[in-house]
Amino acid sequence: MLPWPRPSGRTRYSACHFCDTLHESFPVSEGLAARCVRCGALLYQNRPASLARASAFSLAALLLMVLVHVFPFLTMDAVSLRRNLTLLGASAALIDENAPILGIAIFLFTVIAPLALAGGILYVCFPLMFGRAAPLADHVAKWMYRTEPWNMVEVFLLGVLVSLLKLAKVADVNFGLGFWAFAGVMMCMAAAVAGIDREELWDRLEVAGK
Amino acid sequence: MKSTYPKAADFGLAGCHTCGKVSEVSLGNCPRCGTSLHLRKPASIQNTVALMIAAAALYIPSHLLPVMTVVELGEVTHNTIIGGMITFWKSGAYPIAIVIFTASVLIPMLKILALSWLCAAASGKMHPSPKTLGKVYWFTELLGRWSMIDIFVVGILVSIVQLGNYMSIAPGPGALAFAGVVMLTMFAAMSFEPRMLWDRLDELAETPPSNAIKSTT
Repeated sequence: MLPWPRPSGRTRYSACHFCDTLHESFPVSEGLAARCVRCGALLYQNRPASLARASAFSLAALLLMVLVHVFPFLTMDAVSLRRNLTLLGASAALIDENAPILGIAIFLFTVIAPLALAGGILYVCFPLMFGRAAPLADHVAKWMYRTEPWNMVEVFLLGVLVSLLKLAKVADVNFGLGFWAFAGVMMCMAAAVAGIDREELWDRLEVAGK
Repeated sequence: MKSTYPKAADFGLAGCHTCGKVSEVSLGNCPRCGTSLHLRKPASIQNTVALMIAAAALYIPSHLLPVMTVVELGEVTHNTIIGGMITFWKSGAYPIAIVIFTASVLIPMLKILALSWLCAAASGKMHPSPKTLGKVYWFTELLGRWSMIDIFVVGILVSIVQLGNYMSIAPGPGALAFAGVVMLTMFAAMSFEPRMLWDRLDELAETPPSNAIKSTT
């Protein structure tokens, strides 16, 4: 795979996002990171096989997301009734019960934000493996990183655990395949985001776009 | 005395918030990704303080109003976040009670306190110690999202516990208030500008405090 390219032009600088100290940026070898001389914050890092890892893990996350929507998270048996919990069901129930804002918020944090991030990483990184920039890749990259703090896959999983313990007293509750698939989504997303440094992604886009 | 560390802002350069590219701030927008360039986030302290006050105001109703209403065999009970936590504690489920207490009570409160401290330091009202405060800032950004757990629990329970006349659960107004607290504190943390802490520290180094002059004369 192509190494991390350096955009041409005058001397490259890197400003610490935390203390604004200006550094002259230079390439680091694979597996190493550059840190701020003043505060120690991470400036950029060269991840091994970055594009391949980011593409593979984001693809895996997207495939697991399909399973998440097909299989229930929890099944509950009570008074001769069987109830299933699905991801879309949780937001739909809130919208039905006159809490549309909460329903939409849960939908955005657990369905849309992970989809935008994993889909965005795959859309941007896969064509870059062949040195090409996908159409509008710069806009996609800009927006996918903005959704990152609103990704609450792991928080939802802990919420499922707390709900399970709340319900265990009143009914017979079991985990479904959806729960384990969502746990897989969580790990693949973390690996995809950590797979490629933001600076590297943007340097590659800049070079491929020209 | 100027700080020995050169700052991008001293050269009129700004690191892009989105893509990290360092460009002249006079360009207006980042030439690589189009995000508008700023030396420092505009009106960051005002925005952070305003969002924090709104969050603190919503924090009170979020704990007083019920987050969900349980109807069991015709009997209606209103549950608050703290009430649910006490039920877990009494039934001996201490770890979950502690998780709920941390996520719903402690984290929002600590986050508001931490951001007030950060804003006071960034506006020069107290001595900034960027390394310590940096850890505080990093911590508030990392932990903030976990407070959403109670909102997810409400959504999950409302969805799964619909057993006709036997038992049903509906969301309460406290849930909306609490979701508001979490989102407002997240926006407050995002609008804070940590680079201002270092600016204040460098200003202090340039102008020695008045008592230091007295002690040398």
